Amino acid sequence: MVKFIAQRFAATLPVLVLTSVIIFVLMRILPGDPVLMLIGEHSEVSEETITTLRKQYGLDQPLPVQYLIWVKNAVSGDLGRSIHGRQPVWDVVAPRILPTAQIGLTAWIFAVIVAVPLGALSAARMNTWLDWLGTLLALIGAAMPYFLLGGLLIYGVALKTGWLPISGYVSPAVDIGRSIRSTILPAATLSLALIAVITRQARSSFADVLNHPFIRTARAKGLSERNVIIRHALRNAMVPIVTILGLQLGTLFSGAVVTEMVFAIPGVGRLLVDSILSRDYPVVQAVVLFITFCVVMATMAVDIAYGLLDPRLRPR
Amino acid sequence: MASDGPSIVSHTSPYRAGRSLAIRGALTRNLMLIAGLVLVAVLAAGAIFAPLLTQYTPESMDYMAMLQGPSAAHLFGTDELGRDIFSRSLYGARLSMSVGLSAVLLSVAMGVPLGLIAGYVGGITDAIFMRILDSLIALPPLVLALTISAVLGTGLVNATIAIAIVSVPTFARLIRGQVLSLKHLEFIQAAESIGVSSPLIILRHILPNAINPVIVHASLAVGFAIILESRLSFIGLGAQPPASTWGSMVQVGFQYLELAPWYPLIPATMIFFAVLGFNMLGEGLRQMLDPASRSRP
Repeated sequence: MVKFIAQRFAATLPVLVLTSVIIFVLMRILPGDPVLMLIGEHSEVSEETITTLRKQYGLDQPLPVQYLIWVKNAVSGDLGRSIHGRQPVWDVVAPRILPTAQIGLTAWIFAVIVAVPLGALSAARMNTWLDWLGTLLALIGAAMPYFLLGGLLIYGVALKTGWLPISGYVSPAVDIGRSIRSTILPAATLSLALIAVITRQARSSFADVLNHPFIRTARAKGLSERNVIIRHALRNAMVPIVTILGLQLGTLFSGAVVTEMVFAIPGVGRLLVDSILSRDYPVVQAVVLFITFCVVMATMAVDIAYGLLDPRLRPR
Repeated sequence: MASDGPSIVSHTSPYRAGRSLAIRGALTRNLMLIAGLVLVAVLAAGAIFAPLLTQYTPESMDYMAMLQGPSAAHLFGTDELGRDIFSRSLYGARLSMSVGLSAVLLSVAMGVPLGLIAGYVGGITDAIFMRILDSLIALPPLVLALTISAVLGTGLVNATIAIAIVSVPTFARLIRGQVLSLKHLEFIQAAESIGVSSPLIILRHILPNAINPVIVHASLAVGFAIILESRLSFIGLGAQPPASTWGSMVQVGFQYLELAPWYPLIPATMIFFAVLGFNMLGEGLRQMLDPASRSRP
């Protein structure tokens, strides 16, 4: 098993290296001298200082060497400094992680609670109104823009009833009740797209499992349909569903960007947008790296979970 | 349907009859395809015939009628400058849908050759191409599009390029998979054995047989491209004024959500219907062209 995990990890490394190269190259194509960006474009600095700084940051070296220096610094936690505010980039990114994680996780859990039973029911009652409802929900969820659902929820729920805040985020460290209330609408907005994907996957994997002989046996020995699904089909159908759950982290981040704009939440997605609009490229780079790292790690976790859930997939 | 089958077969060649029957049968059974076609056709007609459908131009302002609700004079109400939202939605459809279509065309134009070459040549070329494309897939689509937009700058043309690049890996992978399953078949080997050049084999013999999944995915990709464009414009990196797409209308309209909810929500609903239309069209095409996935999703 340890060998299996090590293998998955080794397979992940090239992707991480390549994505970091792509991000590095993209950021170097950007207009603007990194040193001038570092010291601020308007500050008065002599040519000499610039040359020294250039040397200090290895910018006089060829690009591949620059990349290695950059990686070495990034691995040791030094991602540079924000152009605005001048603080280390990591200090800008770190406080943004909690809101995004809290809302993303809530959306994810909510999606699983709704979509897995709906998919299972769709498969068990294939071609009934329930099945069609599942298909319809999947179609709507896939086409619904986050800002439409978010706008409807803000207008219909927050503005009309006043039960929930219109926008903003409260940290659980400040006030747990208000924190949960500020999470509900953004998480609901974020979860619909996930529900669409997971319902479809759950339906097809339950439909697949329900055709197996061991399900026929379970029915033949007189188990109720409910017991057949919960005790026998669920575990086997979960393998592909878990895969989809892990691979949706990218969708969550994409959705977080828009949702955090709609609900004015100080998360990672909003930081990415703000730093792009204000041309704070070191921050852009750090956020993109952070997101890529999370997504690649999630993909690896899925691979490993796959091996854990289904022994047939482990390499011998 | 079944009754006129034999008569067609007796009058024409069996192959043609089989094919036309299959398409007619697919159309009658394929609710998804029809619904998608209708939805896309209605929106496209609205975009094309916009000047005939409305008396207002998208720019004409009316300070006596700002942020008015939907009425007979203004079907979808007016915005903060008294411009007719119905007209702006129709003209916005032109931009939004053409960005979606051109991004996908551009994406196919980049992805298909890459996939063909990687799949046919194989070896180290394949490995390098696919590793790079795989690492692009590791980035969430919107994050990648945002990063590319940051490099290229704002504006619709740059947004289109960014959106196109996001979809390139999917098209390349799709066609590469097809090529890999085709290239060892006898008719390709036959062509190779009589000395047909590689480019000709790729264009004449492999491409036509590998293109179906690309057509299916292109339709889904248009929906996705429209979504991405709307998100980029909503964020402020897409269409810049005076150009306005559905996404940029939503961006400005969102400030008036409480006062005039129709203002941001109507263009957002247009995006929803456009994406729904292209998704159903793609799903329907998949059911028609790909017998393996004929069971409903």
